[in-house]
Parts: sequence; structure tokens; C-alpha cells
Amino acid sequence: MDFSKAPNPRKLQLCRTYFYAGFALLPFVWAINVCWCFEEAFRKPPFPEQSQIKRFVIYSAVGTLLWIVALIAWIIIFQTNRTAWGATADYMSFMIPLGSA
Amino acid sequence: MEKRVHAAAIWLLMLLHGAAFAQGERTRDKMYQPIVGAGCFRRLNGTHQTGCSSTHAGSVGVLHLINVEADLEFLLASPPSPPYAPMIPPHLFTRRNLLRLIEAGPSNISVVLLINKPEKMKQFSHELNCPNQYSSLNNSETCDASNPATSWNPWGTGLLHEDFPFPIYYIADTEEISKLEKCFLKFNNFNYETHALRSLCAIEVKSFMSAAVSSEVCIRRTRFINNLSGSKYCDPLEGRNVYATVYPRNVSSVEAEETELAITSEKFILVTCRLDTASMFDGVGLGAMDSLVGLSILTQVAHLLRELLPPQSSLPDNRRNVLFVTFNGESYDYIGSQRFVYDVERFAFPKSSARRNLITFDNIEFMLDIGTLDDIANIKLHALSGTPLAQKLLQQLNNYAQSPRYGFNLNIQSEMSYHIPPTSAQSFLRRDPKFPALILNAKPANKYYHSIYDDADNVVFNYGNTSQDFTLLPDVGDTKNFKADSLQMKVRNVSSIVAMALYETLTGKEYTGSKVANPVLADEFFYCFLLSADCPLFKAASYPGSPKGLPMPPMRYVSVLGGPQESSGWTYRVLGYLLSQKQPKIPKDNCTILPLHYFAGFNGVGECRLTTQNYSSALSPAFLIDDYDWRSGNYSTWTESTWSLFSARIFLRPSNVHQVTTLSVGIVVLIVSFCVVYIISSRSEVLFEDLPASNAALFG
Repeated sequence: MDFSKAPNPRKLQLCRTYFYAGFALLPFVWAINVCWCFEEAFRKPPFPEQSQIKRFVIYSAVGTLLWIVALIAWIIIFQTNRTAWGATADYMSFMIPLGSA
Repeated sequence: MEKRVHAAAIWLLMLLHGAAFAQGERTRDKMYQPIVGAGCFRRLNGTHQTGCSSTHAGSVGVLHLINVEADLEFLLASPPSPPYAPMIPPHLFTRRNLLRLIEAGPSNISVVLLINKPEKMKQFSHELNCPNQYSSLNNSETCDASNPATSWNPWGTGLLHEDFPFPIYYIADTEEISKLEKCFLKFNNFNYETHALRSLCAIEVKSFMSAAVSSEVCIRRTRFINNLSGSKYCDPLEGRNVYATVYPRNVSSVEAEETELAITSEKFILVTCRLDTASMFDGVGLGAMDSLVGLSILTQVAHLLRELLPPQSSLPDNRRNVLFVTFNGESYDYIGSQRFVYDVERFAFPKSSARRNLITFDNIEFMLDIGTLDDIANIKLHALSGTPLAQKLLQQLNNYAQSPRYGFNLNIQSEMSYHIPPTSAQSFLRRDPKFPALILNAKPANKYYHSIYDDADNVVFNYGNTSQDFTLLPDVGDTKNFKADSLQMKVRNVSSIVAMALYETLTGKEYTGSKVANPVLADEFFYCFLLSADCPLFKAASYPGSPKGLPMPPMRYVSVLGGPQESSGWTYRVLGYLLSQKQPKIPKDNCTILPLHYFAGFNGVGECRLTTQNYSSALSPAFLIDDYDWRSGNYSTWTESTWSLFSARIFLRPSNVHQVTTLSVGIVVLIVSFCVVYIISSRSEVLFEDLPASNAALFG
């Protein structure tokens, strides 16, 4: 589907749906929402639904950012402490490296 | 027509040429030359990892032959083209040198090769000074590593218990060694300063180990439920103990399976020894002196007692019997004996499928453990304290050892203290220091303890190949042409003394016969276990017409579940054969259900015999107990890492300059190709001027 060719109310509805769907611990949906609606929210000439779309895009972007920060922090903490945590870290892992601690 | 003749001529020419010059060999096979050898692998215990591993893709190092210690200095003082792979002869494979190589780091030393050039070797033992120290009695007197006079392996370097950051590969074959040396001399051994600028002969060793850290970690990861890839990191060391009795035991009735009913008033004299050995390299190591001499004596004692003793009913106490047990995995913290003690304590020996009454500690009268007998002139009877039992047995042993009638001329001394050798009896004494354990052990004299060089040469074994019947007992004067100081005669003498003393203990009467153990049996026994499993003794102990043993000695490392278990299998058959009674009246067809077993016998014609032998598990209790505390040191925790392959090959490693040039050229070509494609596509209308309208949609 070509997003730019959809009618404006439909655009708003999609953007809203994606924003709410992201709350189900789906940061990728927010990220997609940002990419997909960015054009409509900031680049297109103004239309009535644009301000609402803009709001959802900004919120999605903030959510995505928060997730990125949290994930990176967790990955750094986990990878640097994995061996020190011993069994606990093993139980959190799905793939355990061969031949090293 | 002419055309066809031409074509045929060309084809013929091509075929003729092809036959002479075509080479189907792959470039890869031309580049590399495989090297056959044995690898060092990783073993883990409750707290540490030991042994070696290569990197995941294989470790590569430039060959460098070490002839004298000074050659090492070149590698340790910032060498020109690291990493290197020193080729070390055994006399330079010392703790000091190896630790220096570890210190140099994997960026300088990536592989170590041990080459089989033993001419200058004086000693080679990489076991600890105190083998199995932490699973033995916890007493400073038992073994003192810092004092060679009281340690049990004064020549040990302890390298078996080190963790190496590089693979160590042992090359035994002289042809393979000369391949390496030639390559080293041709490409590496001149003009060391220009090493960095030219191609050098290098070796790649692949022996990547999956397990890491400790048994606790690798077992946890192997058992782990989230382990999606299903990978196995390590396996516990596991084997089978072999046991047999001199008199057959009654089959327990079905109702007697409950513990209390199954306990009887039988009395056993436990005669034990070690079945396995250890070494640093996979599949090499015979343990001739460190455990095979003991095993041969146990086998001989068993056979002699079987032949000499009167029927059980005519013994003064007809509840008495002798239980022979050979423990497996003893080299790794007494796996076999720890499990035996664990089972007996829990009323689980023999296992219920054996359908024999249980044996408890109350059934064991005393234990005679045959340890390492390096020098039979220096045998001592060890016990924790000087009990009347120990005194009596010592006196009986010496009675026969010194009797002019037999002329053994040995003197067995005694030592009643905590200075107890590292043998199976330690597991029994750890449970209960009052356990009546007596140990026959000689002063340590084995400079190759637990190593690849503890072989037939180390025990000075020369195969007599007499082709005589080894099951008959000769008179004491009949030495079967073996010299008095030969291994065969030494084993004959010690086993006769032990068997006679046990005979006296059981019958209450002095042994006055002239029959002694057969040196031919010792001869055949060592031939089978040291030179070739395709041998008369193994043949006699197998089913008639069963496939021959391999023409190489059986592997005597305890190994893991699913390992070859050759040594316990052959011991089972040999003990079964030598401790069984012939049943001439039973035809072959009725001789199928144990305890009846059909053997080929010495002549190979086949004979039915009533046997007593069986297996018991030699898996450490640590792997049976839920939530076992791996650091407690109660039981052996040794595991072996899994690996996918061992391989080594040599090739010419291009210099760094060469490699950088190749890479740079590649990158330049890549960039140029992008530019060319860009130019072509931007000027495509010049090249593809009249694009048909129907296709324009596709490309537009």
C-alpha cells in the first residue's frame, strides 16, 4: 500500500493504531511509525489531520529512543557482567558461547 | 568426412596428453600437507579447567625447531614474525619452559609441538607430585609435594593440571617429524631477520574445545533447558569397574530383593587394583608401570587362587570368598572406588540386575589393595595402624617371600602410618579410617608416571612368545626360559607370594605345594595390553571364532560414556576366563545363560565355564547427587570437554607484507569496479540507445 496515496483520515487512523500498538512492548512498531509517517507529518503541505499525526510521530520517536537507550544500557550491563553473574546469566541466555566463560 | 577425422585426431591428442599430465588434485590439497599426531584436550573439575584448546578456526604458528634450551630465547625475546610453533623434544618439555611459553602469550606462541625424540630424555611425568591429593586422606603426612622423599611422584611436573592457552600436539611418527623438519630447514632456518618479509613454513592445529571454566559450569550448560542448539559442552569421565569372585555366589531368589533379606553373612577378602591410566594426549599412554603391573599381579593372583583353593565347602569357614575388583577412573580422583564405596554404603552393590545378594561393609573382612609396584625389591605393606591383621598378613607374606623352598628372595617391609600411597584404598579410608585396608606398594621409581612414555620399554618387557599353555601352573623350578630379572618372573614371584598368603588366610593351613604362578601368563598378559590386542590370551578369553582384537594395545584411559571401554572389556573377559571353572559335561548349546559362558580356551576349541565376573559403574557419585556442591571435594568431579575434530597440517604462510598487498589490491579492484559500473550506468543511453518501448517499463 502506498501510504502517500491514502486519504488523510485513513493516514491518521493508521498512525494512531501503530502508536497504540507500540505499547504492547513493540518498540519496532513505533520505529516503523516514525519512518512511515514522517513525510506526512513534517514535509507535506498542511492538512487538517497533520497536527495529530505530528503528535503521534513525535511520541513514537520518543518511545523508540527510550527503548534504544534502555536496550543498549541493558546489553552493556549484561555483556560486561555475564561471566560474573554465573548461573543467573546462563539462565537468561539462549545462546551460550562455546569454549569460553 | 575430413572434418571428423580432424576432430578425432584432436580428441586423441588431448586424451594422450591428459593421461600424462592431468592432475585431479585440488588446490587445497596441494597447499596443505596433513600431519598425523595426538592432541592434548581439555578436562575440567569442580573448580578449574586444565589442558589445551586451539582457537575456533584453528591455531597457526610458524615452525621453529628447538634443539637446545637457548633456541627458546629466540621465540621469547620479541621474535620477528609471530606467532610461532616451537617443536620441542621431550627432554626440553619441562615445567619451566612450558610456563615461559605460556607467559609469552598467544600472540607470540600459538601452538606447541612435542616431537618424539626421546634420546636425551631422563624423565617425563606431568602428573602432580601428590597424585589425587585432594581426594586422598586429608593429612600432611600422606603426601608432601615439597619433599621428594615423601611425595608419591617425585618427578612430577604437574603440567597435566595446567591450563594452556595454546594447543599442544604430540607427533610420534618419525616420518611426520622429518616432514616438519624438512619444511623448517627449507623455508625458516636461515636469515631470521627477514622472517617478516618472506613466506614461512607454518602449522595449523585445530582442537577447539567446547567446555570452559569448570565442570559445574559446563554440566549446568549441558543440562540447561534453554539450550536451544542442543550442544553438549562436556561429559563426565565414566567407565566400568570389573569384579569377580573366586567362588561363584548363589543366585538370589526373587523374594530376596528387599534389602534386609538380601544381606547375608558372607565374608569377603577384597583384592583390588587400578584399571586405568592417564596421559596428556588423546589415545596415547599405556600406563605400563603405573597400573598395568598391578593389574597383571591381580589377574595372576586370581588365577592361582582359583587353581589352588579347595572347594568352598571344605574351607574352615565356608562363608568366606575372595572378591577381586579392578577400579576404573582411579587416575582422576578415584572415580571407580568412590562409586564402589558409595554403592556399598547404600546397599546398591551388586546392582539388582546381577541377581546376587548384596555386599555390605560388614561382609568385607579386609581389603588388600595392589598399588604401584615400580621396584619389587622395595615393596611395603602399608596400613594406617599396626593392627594384628596387618602383622599377621605381613608375616605370612614374608614367610613365602623369604622361604628357601621357593627362592623368591624378597623382603616385604611394612609402614603403619598416614603415609599411604595414592591408591583405591584411600576412598575406603576416607569413609572410615578404621576400615581394614592393607596396601602393597613399592617405593616410587617410575620416572614416566602417567605419561606417553610409560610403555613396554619402561618396564623392560621382551615378549617371550613361548606358545605354551598359560593356564597350567608350573613348578617353582620351571622358569620357562625367562631370566630371573625379567618382568615376567618378577610378576610371577610377587603374585605367587600374595596368592600363597591369601591361601593360608582362607584355608588356615600353610601352602606347601610346589606350583607357582605361570610366567607365560604374565608374558601373554603384557603382550596383549602393551603391544597388540590380537593375542593368544584375549583370543582364549573370547567366544570361539569371535573377531580378532585390533593389532594395537587397548586404550586404558577411562574416557566417557560411549567411549571405547576396551580395557574394561578385555579385563572382564580375561578375569572371567581365568576365574571360572570348567564344566566339561555341559554341551555348547546349553552354555548360553550367565553365569555359564562359552570361551574359546587356550586351544581355541571352545569350553563351557562357570563364571563369576561382572561390571559395576564407574561414574562419580557427584553426577548422581542432586544439587551436588562442586566445591566440596567429596567426590571426583572430572569431566572431559567435547570437541569436533583434531587435525594438524603444514603450509607456507605468506609474509605479512604479502598478505597486506593482496588485501589492498582486492580493495582497489573493488573500488575501481564500483566506479566503472557507475560510469556505465550513468551513460547507459549511449550504450543502449534504442531500447524497445515494451522493455522500457521494466528498466525505467
